[in-house]
Amino acid sequence: MTIYFFLLMIAFLFLFQIALLFYLVIHKKKRQRYEEEIESQYNHLTESFSSYIIEPSDVRFLYAIRTIQHQEVVLERLLNGYVAFTKEANISPLVKQLSEEFLTEPYSRILGQRNWAKRINILHYIEDFHMTSLSPVLFERLTAANTLDVETQQLIRTLASLDETKVIKELGRFPNVSIRLYVDVFNRLHKESTPKEIQSALDGPDVTLKYAALVFIGQSGAISFLPAVEKELESSHAETRIQALKTLFRLEYMSDPDLLVPFFESSIWTERMFAARIAGILQFSRYKKILSTLLGDSVWWVRYSAAEAFTHFSDGDVILAHLSENHPDRYGRDMAAQWRIYRPGGDN
Amino acid sequence: MNSFFLVLSYVIIAYMLFSSLSYMALFLLAFRKVYRESELDPREATEDIAGNDRTFPVSVLVPSYNEEVGVVSTVRSLLALEYPEIEIIVIDDGSKDQTSARMIEEFQMTETPYAVRTYLQTAEIKAIYQSSIFPYIRLIKKVNGGKADALNAGINLSSYPYFCAIDGDSILENDALLKTMKPIIESDGQIIVTGGSVRIANGSTISRSKVETINLPNHPVVLMQIIEYFRAFLIGRLALSRLNILLIVSGAFGVFHKERVIRAGGYNKKTVGEDMELVVRLHRLLKEEKSNQRIEYIPDPVCWTEAPESLEVLRSQRIRWQRGLSETLWTHKKMMLNPSYGSIGLVSMPYFLFVELLGAIFEFCGYFIIFGGFFFSLIDPKIAGILFLVTIFYGSLISALAVLLEELTLHKYPKVSHLVRLYGWALTETFWYRPLMVIWRIQGIFAAFRKKQHWGDMKRKGIST
Repeated sequence: MTIYFFLLMIAFLFLFQIALLFYLVIHKKKRQRYEEEIESQYNHLTESFSSYIIEPSDVRFLYAIRTIQHQEVVLERLLNGYVAFTKEANISPLVKQLSEEFLTEPYSRILGQRNWAKRINILHYIEDFHMTSLSPVLFERLTAANTLDVETQQLIRTLASLDETKVIKELGRFPNVSIRLYVDVFNRLHKESTPKEIQSALDGPDVTLKYAALVFIGQSGAISFLPAVEKELESSHAETRIQALKTLFRLEYMSDPDLLVPFFESSIWTERMFAARIAGILQFSRYKKILSTLLGDSVWWVRYSAAEAFTHFSDGDVILAHLSENHPDRYGRDMAAQWRIYRPGGDN
Repeated sequence: MNSFFLVLSYVIIAYMLFSSLSYMALFLLAFRKVYRESELDPREATEDIAGNDRTFPVSVLVPSYNEEVGVVSTVRSLLALEYPEIEIIVIDDGSKDQTSARMIEEFQMTETPYAVRTYLQTAEIKAIYQSSIFPYIRLIKKVNGGKADALNAGINLSSYPYFCAIDGDSILENDALLKTMKPIIESDGQIIVTGGSVRIANGSTISRSKVETINLPNHPVVLMQIIEYFRAFLIGRLALSRLNILLIVSGAFGVFHKERVIRAGGYNKKTVGEDMELVVRLHRLLKEEKSNQRIEYIPDPVCWTEAPESLEVLRSQRIRWQRGLSETLWTHKKMMLNPSYGSIGLVSMPYFLFVELLGAIFEFCGYFIIFGGFFFSLIDPKIAGILFLVTIFYGSLISALAVLLEELTLHKYPKVSHLVRLYGWALTETFWYRPLMVIWRIQGIFAAFRKKQHWGDMKRKGIST
């Protein structure tokens, strides 16, 4: 190989890069022009769109949107802006109506195309705009899916947001479905459909589905399921009991404080920790003595939760002051001292 | 003697061609994913996990040493983070200036008798403070023990399952944590570390943790660092991350699973490259435990950092980095070419040794021979010419390619003039910037033998308003 070979190689690479640079410059300019056009049309329609949303009888927007060049993209941005601005838009019939009228056809087309990012974006938009008109197309895609990849997961979430309860059964086809995904589904189903699905999840044999139901009950504060949750405290599976305790902690309610008793002396520290946290948040005064004992527990998190529990009682300051001086365990005294002054916080 | 230099020239030519091709192969590996994801709507991508119930709480650790100028603005920028549940722990590692005093005054902090769990041994904690206006801001005042020691103290105090380590001079974008935690949340714990892409803020306008305008700095040294970041992040790290053999998560911004890090023994106080060393150790443990857990890197730029403008500071930074790399590779030499560590031992470790560490020595020899060949007949000028062309290929053309690839995928710099300027400067790399880097990187290798430890020192102008 001579110097000429290398010279040619460098020259070729350099020329290739220059060609690529020219292409990118032209492409960038085109993209900028496209964005400017969209921006201009968006600004032009913002006023009539707002009027239409506030007063649907003002139909100037409906005429205007039909005449512009980038109809789909501009409408998509207007609707997205509105949805992001107000949560109420999630149930706005106008958003649904506009999107179904103008976007059903282009979205069906894009869903069949190869551009993965566009498909994912559109799945999000269908969810945001509540486009039930696309349910059959989406369900067809779900039944054809073989793996639970990012796109299939979003497909499931979108369908759940359109109140397609069948997705729960469809999810059963895939191995190792996460609790999180089931919770996402429960969160998205309409309020009328959820109780039935939660009940069958609690009664069914699928443990993941049951845990997801417990998580959902805690998150949504569905107190009507309290008896079912308390029943799970008797489960022979430790993980189920812990999930149930976690749910009770989040519900901040228990029908019978006695149900907590066995957990204070559990060999599993997570159960002791949740028992202490529940006793605190529900201000079960009868457990103050037990909490004081747990302040000297061998596990840091149990000591932490026991001390924190005292802060929920009206006389918690006094008890913590006393325990910080007199608790038989040195770590217990330190923890009590910390919680006399310390204020938890992390919610941004 | 001439034949020795001739053979050496051939070795260097082969090395540079091989390294350049490996860079290109690595990029091709990552290209599809970056290109595919570049059109995703960023708001939709994080909207779903922005709710409180869907995220894991995160402790943000800010190790500081003599950061009285920037520490308050860094913490203020963290307050603007869009994340449901965080705690901010500033660790003042025995600063000689007013770092703690500035924090205490600004955030109305009071001393708290905190019962710290000593998962990791650290230098003595003098006091722990809690803000009375933002209870989730805490300050640890401790005896000087180095950055790794400060981070370990922060881990001990943290109460959440994940922690995010950031440099005192970094500014995170509002949704940085959401974006970085997303892979962790969606993987259900299979991803234990995520590294965010770091960008250079000089020239851009950042206000309240939001990048208002992206612009290029005028200083050539900073421009070259931007190009270098493209080369490192876009070409190297993405592909290595895809193969789950990424060995570096930038100290400027990374999220870690706390329990995993504690089990690994925390940050290593004996190296200046504590961030890389920890990641290598985590990989080592994952391999030894035959775990499927992963370390991932996200291409989206989420963290902005101030690049040094003065050659003196840049020199000190590069010496530190190279020294950290040398120490890490030495500490984990057992993994090198060891099939028990899979692709980490067989691909990643040799890659970092031959391309990232010893590359400086090869390049130095290359420059020496080119100079000697052209001016002192050290070798045939034709061979020196070939070496010169290959050096241009390895230095300038690969960096110029990185600029073009950034535009092809992420295109974060908005103006056409940005692209043209970056490309133009990238072409000059071989002729001035790279020789400087080569010398400093070699100094870094020597510094690894001397083992004198200190915090990085940099005069800050501040990057956020």
